[in-house]
Amino acid sequence: MDTNQILGEIKEINLGYMLLAQQMLREDKIAAMYRLGINQDVADIMEGLSSGQLLKMAASNMLLCRFRFDDSLIAEMLTSHSRELSVSRSHAAILMAGQTAEAIA
Amino acid sequence: MRNKSILSEAKQIGLATELIQLGARLQVLESNSSLSRERLVKLYKEITGVSPPKGMLPFSEDWFMSWQPNMHSSIFINIYNYLVAHTDVRGIDAVIKSYKLYLEHVEVNQLERVLSLTRAWTLVRFVDSDMLRVAPCKKCGGSFVVHSLELYSNYVCGLCNIPSRAGKTKKSMQAAAAMQAEQHIHTAHAPVH
Repeated sequence: MDTNQILGEIKEINLGYMLLAQQMLREDKIAAMYRLGINQDVADIMEGLSSGQLLKMAASNMLLCRFRFDDSLIAEMLTSHSRELSVSRSHAAILMAGQTAEAIA
Repeated sequence: MRNKSILSEAKQIGLATELIQLGARLQVLESNSSLSRERLVKLYKEITGVSPPKGMLPFSEDWFMSWQPNMHSSIFINIYNYLVAHTDVRGIDAVIKSYKLYLEHVEVNQLERVLSLTRAWTLVRFVDSDMLRVAPCKKCGGSFVVHSLELYSNYVCGLCNIPSRAGKTKKSMQAAAAMQAEQHIHTAHAPVH
């Protein structure tokens, strides 16, 4: 994959992410904030973006979304094979819900 | 308390309807809506087709301590705390929202629906009245439902340290046995190459 192709893919993911996030927020803001792991300020900004702004934001050469688990433990749980899957997923859900929301300073 | 405004009454009916559909008991409805008891009973019958169950609500806080209920109630309370911390929903609306998200988790992971709405509501009340609280697990750092009056400086949660027979209820054993029997039949009927 050359750089141009990678940038194209990133743009596409950004756009998909932003569109989905916006749609989720507009349909059910509270559930969306939980699912996206963002706080009120970020949610307000994302919800209020116009299509033009959204496109501009998506056209970045960096990914706009990032991993929600800063913790290697959660990553391990979500990918684990050893235990019953539903149990480790529940464990991961508890840890992820316990984390702080993504905020803007 | 008489409801004067039709609009607010409509809102109350909407709330009660939602609660009934999620499986709330009559006592939950009574303490969360200003509708009269008779109307609530009527509404309950209209929605579910049966009379509301009588008797007291489950009131034991020890129920939340055994392994499987603890896992489920910890999921719920974490969602609830997240919503209360980061969004502006409060009270019964927050309970309904987080219960719906909990149900979604249960469905996606094909778990059993262990925590009923009535229990979830009771859990929130217990936490509010300091009978139960959440304590961090020393190992994974997640918050889990615990009794308020015990010491938890070295608490390790039931998910980091799974007891040997955890989740193996009579029901789940039967389901597993049935599944195995079915697989056995399938393999027996499979064509031999």
